[in-house]
Amino acid sequence: MEDVVIAILRSGTPLVYVTLAGVIAQRAGVWHLGLEGLMITGACATIVGIVLTGSVVFALLVAVLICIAGSVLFWFVVEKLKANQIIAGLGLTGLGLGGTSLAIQSIFGSQAAISAPFGLPRLGAAFGAYGVLSVLVLVMPVVVFLCWVLLCRTRFGLRLAASGEHPFAARSVGVDPSAMRLAALVIGGALCALAGAELAAGSLQIFSQNMTAGRGFMGFAAVIFGAGHPLWATLAALFFAVVGALGIRAQLVFGDRVPHDLLLGLPYIATIFGVWLSARLRGGAKSATGGFGELRDS
Amino acid sequence: MRGNDDAILACRNVAVRYGDVTALDDVSIAFPRGMIHAVVGQNGAGKTTFARVVSGLVRPDQGAVEIGGKLIAGGNVNDARRAGVELVHQSFALPPSFTVAEAMQFGAAGGALYTRAALERRWQAHLDALDVKVSAGARIRTLTVEQQQAVEIARALVTDARLLILDEPTAVLSPEGAKKLFERVRRLKERGVTVLLILHKIREVLAIADTVSVLRGGRLIDGPLPASDIDADALASLIIGPSAKMLAGEDRAALTGAAAPRGAETETGPIAGPPVVSLRGVSTRPDADGPALQAVDFVVQPGEIVGIAGVEGNGQRTLVRAISSLADIAEGSLELAGRDVTNATLSQRRAAGLRVIPFERNVEGLSLTSPLWENWSAGQLLARPLLAAISPSALRRECKSALDAWDVRYAEVGQPAGSLSGGNAQKVILSREMDESGKLIIAAQPTRGLDIGATAFVWDALRKARDGGCGVIFVSSDLDEVFDLADRVVVMLSGRIVAEFRPPFDLTRVGAAMTGARA
Repeated sequence: MEDVVIAILRSGTPLVYVTLAGVIAQRAGVWHLGLEGLMITGACATIVGIVLTGSVVFALLVAVLICIAGSVLFWFVVEKLKANQIIAGLGLTGLGLGGTSLAIQSIFGSQAAISAPFGLPRLGAAFGAYGVLSVLVLVMPVVVFLCWVLLCRTRFGLRLAASGEHPFAARSVGVDPSAMRLAALVIGGALCALAGAELAAGSLQIFSQNMTAGRGFMGFAAVIFGAGHPLWATLAALFFAVVGALGIRAQLVFGDRVPHDLLLGLPYIATIFGVWLSARLRGGAKSATGGFGELRDS
Repeated sequence: MRGNDDAILACRNVAVRYGDVTALDDVSIAFPRGMIHAVVGQNGAGKTTFARVVSGLVRPDQGAVEIGGKLIAGGNVNDARRAGVELVHQSFALPPSFTVAEAMQFGAAGGALYTRAALERRWQAHLDALDVKVSAGARIRTLTVEQQQAVEIARALVTDARLLILDEPTAVLSPEGAKKLFERVRRLKERGVTVLLILHKIREVLAIADTVSVLRGGRLIDGPLPASDIDADALASLIIGPSAKMLAGEDRAALTGAAAPRGAETETGPIAGPPVVSLRGVSTRPDADGPALQAVDFVVQPGEIVGIAGVEGNGQRTLVRAISSLADIAEGSLELAGRDVTNATLSQRRAAGLRVIPFERNVEGLSLTSPLWENWSAGQLLARPLLAAISPSALRRECKSALDAWDVRYAEVGQPAGSLSGGNAQKVILSREMDESGKLIIAAQPTRGLDIGATAFVWDALRKARDGGCGVIFVSSDLDEVFDLADRVVVMLSGRIVAEFRPPFDLTRVGAAMTGARA
C-alpha cells in the first residue's frame, strides 16, 4: 500500500504544481497551452543547474527565473502583439521541448539523458517509508492552500477572476486586465518551474528529452475538469495520478494478458473521460475568454 | 450657471475621435453639485463616450476634465474614482459568476483577506443601508436586470462617490422599474450625491432631472438648462435637430419619448386568410441561451405588425430562435403560412416565407469580414441545392442593384460588411430579408444603435412590408417605438405570453404586465 501512495505522490506532485499554474492563468483569462513547454524548461534548467553549479538552491532559482522569463514572453506575444492564445501557447510548448533539446546538445554535446549527482532534498528517515519523497511533495499542500487563499479569498483573486471573466468590469473599477494576466502568468511560470524540478529531480535526478510526456497538457485538462477552481483542479490532478499508478499496478497484475500500451495510456484516457465528464456536469470550464477578452465591451 | 469652483464636474474643450469618427467634438460644460443632471441625445450623439471620458475609461484626444475643481488625468479610472466619480454602465459590468458580495469587494478598498461569511456580512449591511433587497450571497447571473442594476449602483457607492453617472439606466427597465430607480436617485441626491443621468427619453428627463444638457452629433447643443424652463417640444427639437422635418409627429414623439404614447390608429386591419405564423402550445427545450418558451400560443395575420414587449431576457430571443429553427421545440406545433414547419430546417422555413432581421446585427446578421455581395447573397444561396454552381459576377450585379434600391451608402460590393456604419449595415440586411417572397418578417431590435435617419428608414420599411401583406413580428425593448409601430402588442414574461393589447396602448398597463404586476 505504501508504495502505491508514494507512486501517486511522486507522479501527482508535478501534476498539481503545473495544474495550479494553469488554474491561475485560466482565471485571468488565458487558456494556457504553454504549460508543457514551461514545465520541461523547468526540468531541464534544474538538472543542468545542479550539474553545472552543484547547488540545488541555485538550480531551482535559475529554473524559476527562466520559466518566468518564458511566461513574460508568452504574455508579451498574447497581450501586446495580440497573438491567438492557443497558437502562442502551443508555440511556447514547442519552444520548451525543442529549446531544452538544443540546450543539452550545445552544453553536453549529445542529446542523451543527463543525470545529476543528486536531486532535491528528501524528507529523510523521520518520515519512514515516505522519506524517499522530496521536500516539494511536503510543500505541495501548502502551495495549494496558498493558491486557494490568493484566488478565492483576496481582492487580488477577485480582480484576477474579473479580468478573465469580464475584462470590462475590471477596467471599470480601475483594474488593468492585461497587468493582471502578467501577474498570473509570472506566478504560473514559477509553479511550472517547481513542477519540472520535482519531475526531474524529485526522485529520478535525470533529464531526458520530452520527459514531461504530455503532463503539461494533462495539467491543463485538470484545470478544465476542476472548472478552474484551485481545490477541484488539484483533486482532478491527483485523480489522474491515481489512475496512472493503478495502470502500473495493473501491469504487474495482468502481465502480458493485457496490452502494455493500453495500461500506460490509462491516465490519458482518464483525462479525456474527465474533461467529458466535467463538460457534462457543468457545461464547461470557468470561462477564460480565449482571445476575445474585450468582446463584451459594448 | 455658476462658476467652475462650484461645479462638481467641469469639462473644457473635450474631444474624442475613434479613427475617422468624431464621437465628442469640443465639449465644454460644467455641472453644479448636489443636483440631478440629465444628458440627453440620440444614438450616436456621444452620450456614452462622454460618460466614459468623465469616469476615466476613455482618454480624450483633447481637452481637460475637472472633478470638484481638481484636474484629473485623462483615461485613468483610478484617478477618477479617487476624485469620487463612479459610472454605472448601460450593460452592467458585473462578472456573472461572482456573488453579490464578491462583486462589491473587488472594486472596494480595505479588508485584504476575508472569509466568505465576513464578506457577506460586510456587504449585506451595505446593501441594506441602500435598501437594495438582494442577498449578498446570490450569484450575479441569477439576478433580474433590475436587481443587477441596483447591485451595480450599490457597487458604485462602495467608495465615497460624489458624482454618480448612470448610462442609459432605464433602457433595460420596465416603466415600473424606472420609477423605482428614480426614487433611488432622489434619495441619493438627498444624501449629497450629484447624479448624472444619461437618458434618451424626454418623458423621463422631465420627470427626474433638475437640469438637462443636449448632445447631438458629438457636440454640446445646449445645457445645462434648468429642466423647469423647458417643455417637451422644445427639447425634442434640440435633440433631433434639423432632421426633425422629415419625421411625422407620432414618429418624432416615439423617437424622443416626448409624449405619453398612444399608438397607431390602424386604417388597415389585418388581411383575412391563413395566418403567416401560428404557434400552438409551443414549449422549447431549456438551453443556456435564455428562458425556455412555455406553452406559447401566438398568431400573426398577414398585414399586421405585432409588437413583442417585455423586459429583456424574458423569452423574446427564444421566441425568435424557435421560429427560426435555432431552439428545439419540445412540445406544440409551428406553422408558417399554413405549412407545418415544427421539425423543418431553416432553409425549408425560409422557403415557406420566413425572413429574419436578427438581434445582433454584427454577429448574427452579417459576417463583418466578408464582402457585401456575399453577405447579401447568403439569403438566396441558402435556398439552392448544396452543390449548385454560383456565379459571383451575376451575384455582384444583383447585389449592386439591390443595395442601390435600398439606398445603402457604400463604395463597392466587394468591401467588407464591417466597413459600413450601423445604419447602412442594417440596410444591407433589410435588402436581403425583405424581398417579395417573404411572408413573415421577424424584426428583432432592428433600430438598436441606429441614428434618427436610419431608425425612421427601418420603421418605414417595416410599415411598407406590412402594407404589402407581410406579417411582421417586431421585438423591441423600447415601448415608445413598439407603440408607434405595432398594430397589436403582446407582452412576454419568463418565457410566456402574459398579455395582449390593442390600440390605444396604455403605458401603465403594458408596463404592469411586463413586471407581472397584473395577472
